[in-house]
Amino acid sequence: MVRKKLGRLSVFIDMTPMVDVSMLLLTFFMLTTQFRPAAEAEIVLPSSNSAIKLPESDVMTITISKDDRIFLGVDSQRLRGELFGADNALKGGVHVENMEQLAALLMQARTLNPKLRTVIKGDQGAPYGPVQDVMDVLQRVKITRFNLVTDLEKG
Amino acid sequence: MAGGDMGAPRQARHANKPHKARRRLNVRIDMTPMVDVVMLLITFFMLTTVFNTPQTMEINMPSEEGATVEVPESNLLTLRVSHGDRIFWNIGVESPKTLEFAQLRPFLLREIAANPKLITLVKVDRMSPYKSMVDVMDELNLANISRFSLAPFKDFDRDLVDAVATP
Repeated sequence: MVRKKLGRLSVFIDMTPMVDVSMLLLTFFMLTTQFRPAAEAEIVLPSSNSAIKLPESDVMTITISKDDRIFLGVDSQRLRGELFGADNALKGGVHVENMEQLAALLMQARTLNPKLRTVIKGDQGAPYGPVQDVMDVLQRVKITRFNLVTDLEKG
Repeated sequence: MAGGDMGAPRQARHANKPHKARRRLNVRIDMTPMVDVVMLLITFFMLTTVFNTPQTMEINMPSEEGATVEVPESNLLTLRVSHGDRIFWNIGVESPKTLEFAQLRPFLLREIAANPKLITLVKVDRMSPYKSMVDVMDELNLANISRFSLAPFKDFDRDLVDAVATP
């Protein structure tokens, strides 16, 4: 009876170190993760050979969809709440009706966080017209440096 | 008090008394469900973490809206992208000539070698897809033309290009 108990004991593996490591990994991923908000429109990026990486944080994205609707989004949830109101804080971006609204939002965003980098994310099939208007607005609000999001060209 | 209690089983283990060993066994908690949950969460966060950031093209625009540069006409290469995704080029006031997209890069390299002072002006039709503008800018970058102008495509340009496209 007693001998049998001892035999079972040796099968038992000490899981404590494994749990330690797992917990460490878990905390790491939980702290570093940033939930991607639901995309407001499906965007197929154009491709280019440019290899500049998109900055990781402090990004303000102007999305131009294929049916030339314009969305403005920022990556920080706190800033989204301040900019677009608490109702829209969890959304990726808000639909911008016209260029005056876009200009006002851009200026407001820049005053709330001066480190914001501006990127234009246009669908490859979007007409150039709205893109040109957006670039004019950017120039008007003195955002003279911005990036165009592209995919890396294959082949 | 507590120390005395802690000390007793430790000595007992060395003595290897079966009764004491069974009492230690009760202290062990089965961690398997916890490990299950933790592993599940790890997998979830590992899968949802975004590692690949997209590529970008950087554009620096002149800060003043009215910034003008005087360019002699002979040094001005105009590239027009029409709504039919066709590319037209001309130098100075020549009438535009059509160009295949595949020929654009060799053409640009040839022209810039022939005249290093060449200034490129890009005009993209509002109706043409955004992709063609990115493609042309990409070709310009690949041809080491890092400075170029973007100008609006006017009705005048459309007439000019249509005149060439439909002979």
